[in-house]
Amino acid sequence: MPEHQETSVGRADFPAPDFDVRDFARTAAGSHRESMDLTAYRSAPLSDATLRIVRYLQIVERATMTHLRSVLVTATHKDARITAFLTTWAFEKYWIADALEQVLLAHQPEGAEPDRSPFRTPVERTIRESIVANIIGVPMIAVHMTLGTVDEWLTQAAYRRLVALDPNPEFDRTVATFLEIKQRQLSFFEAQSRFRLTESPQARKLARKRLAKTPWPIGAKAEPAHETHFFFDHLFVTAPALVAELDERIDTLPGQSGLALIRKAARL
Amino acid sequence: MAFDIDNYTATSTSVMWGDLDFGDFETNPLPESTLRSLRYMCDIEYHTVCYLRDLLVTPSHKEADVSAFMTMWNREEFWHGEALAAVLGAHGITVDFDELKATRLKLGWKDRLDPIKQSLLGNIVGKDFIAVHMIWGAANEWSAVAAYNRLAELEQHPVLAVLLKRIAKQEARHVAFYATQARERLAKSKKAQVLARFALKNAWGPVGSSVMEPAEVTHVMGHIFAGEEGLREIRKLDEHISRMPGLEGLTIVETSMKKYGVSAGAAA
Repeated sequence: MPEHQETSVGRADFPAPDFDVRDFARTAAGSHRESMDLTAYRSAPLSDATLRIVRYLQIVERATMTHLRSVLVTATHKDARITAFLTTWAFEKYWIADALEQVLLAHQPEGAEPDRSPFRTPVERTIRESIVANIIGVPMIAVHMTLGTVDEWLTQAAYRRLVALDPNPEFDRTVATFLEIKQRQLSFFEAQSRFRLTESPQARKLARKRLAKTPWPIGAKAEPAHETHFFFDHLFVTAPALVAELDERIDTLPGQSGLALIRKAARL
Repeated sequence: MAFDIDNYTATSTSVMWGDLDFGDFETNPLPESTLRSLRYMCDIEYHTVCYLRDLLVTPSHKEADVSAFMTMWNREEFWHGEALAAVLGAHGITVDFDELKATRLKLGWKDRLDPIKQSLLGNIVGKDFIAVHMIWGAANEWSAVAAYNRLAELEQHPVLAVLLKRIAKQEARHVAFYATQARERLAKSKKAQVLARFALKNAWGPVGSSVMEPAEVTHVMGHIFAGEEGLREIRKLDEHISRMPGLEGLTIVETSMKKYGVSAGAAA
């Protein structure tokens, strides 16, 4: 396929110039079922605490359509480069959630059915959100890209911590694959976020407000509060240095210092 | 007939064209009018994410199967856009993401308010509204299958025909999903039937007519569906739709084609 020029403007004039969205789409990671050895869990199962987090992460990872809903009703959907990215992002996350579901099923008696109940979603605020976000317009894109960045930092740390607490060769391998996928997604979000925040004081102010109001991780609302508490208690409260490191990383985003998002989310 | 969502997601792929000899377009290029139609179809495929947005503001996405389908469908359609962009690229026509952005920006307020309107409607009438989206989707996908197959036949170009048939085959799977969903949901609810009938009769238009210039809609629909053969295809589409519970006697495709000046007498 001929590589199309994505834009004719100079490299410094648009966000994430080094991220080739078309290449990302072309090399997207699909199903992990073939590469997983689920029988390994029979002799070396994950702990109950780990499985509870795996279930939580599965629900959070599959909540892409709910997240896309709030993103697409804003000016963000006009940016074809971002929607092309999000199309592939949702695809990759679908298969991450599917892999997590397979891990869960491998720990259940044979023939167990996957959970197909309707998703719990936050109170419908689409109408208000759409009106507000469209008045704000373009700076809203910076908010979405920054939310994506912080969420990637947080969830990647969660996966790393999860395998550190309960080492398991098979699960470690699966998580290593996820981290590779998520790292590439992060590189898009982060480059977009830094560029857009640097460009616009309004975006910086707005992002600050939105980040502080967001329940972390993104998708947490799809689960009852006690599950989110368990997620933070198990993985982060026991690792205060990690919490501090994540908050310091968020501090490096233009105009976002001192928010202490992760410390607050972990109720520390 | 049930739709096997697991089988669908497991076998969902991006449409292939790397094995086709695009060099053939150099010695055997497509005529101007076909390129114009392909450009339209390419844009529409890329804009699928905008339709996804309309779907997401209603309660449809909360259902696990629907959410899984949307993820794969949105990505397959994006790849149809990429494939058609590659054909256009072989003729020196570049489709870049910034241009798509310009089309979306042109939609302006009408489009911005749309998710709000849909969300209001969708959330007031709740589950029954999902049926409307499903029959709407089915009508669009049936049209897409017919359009791709017909263009392949009209053009008789050895490379283009193979690609369009591949795309049509994927669209046929989308039909299967939407039609199965629509049939079940309409059969279950009289209110859904009334809503669907009302929405189709009053608001349905050829795929892309809400996004593209009317002159382009007229060109493409005339190019593909004019003449006796075209009329037969149009009527087949109406037959599919009117076979759904509560939708007997609807002729929305023929009616809207006439509105755009497409008729049996007017071969393009």
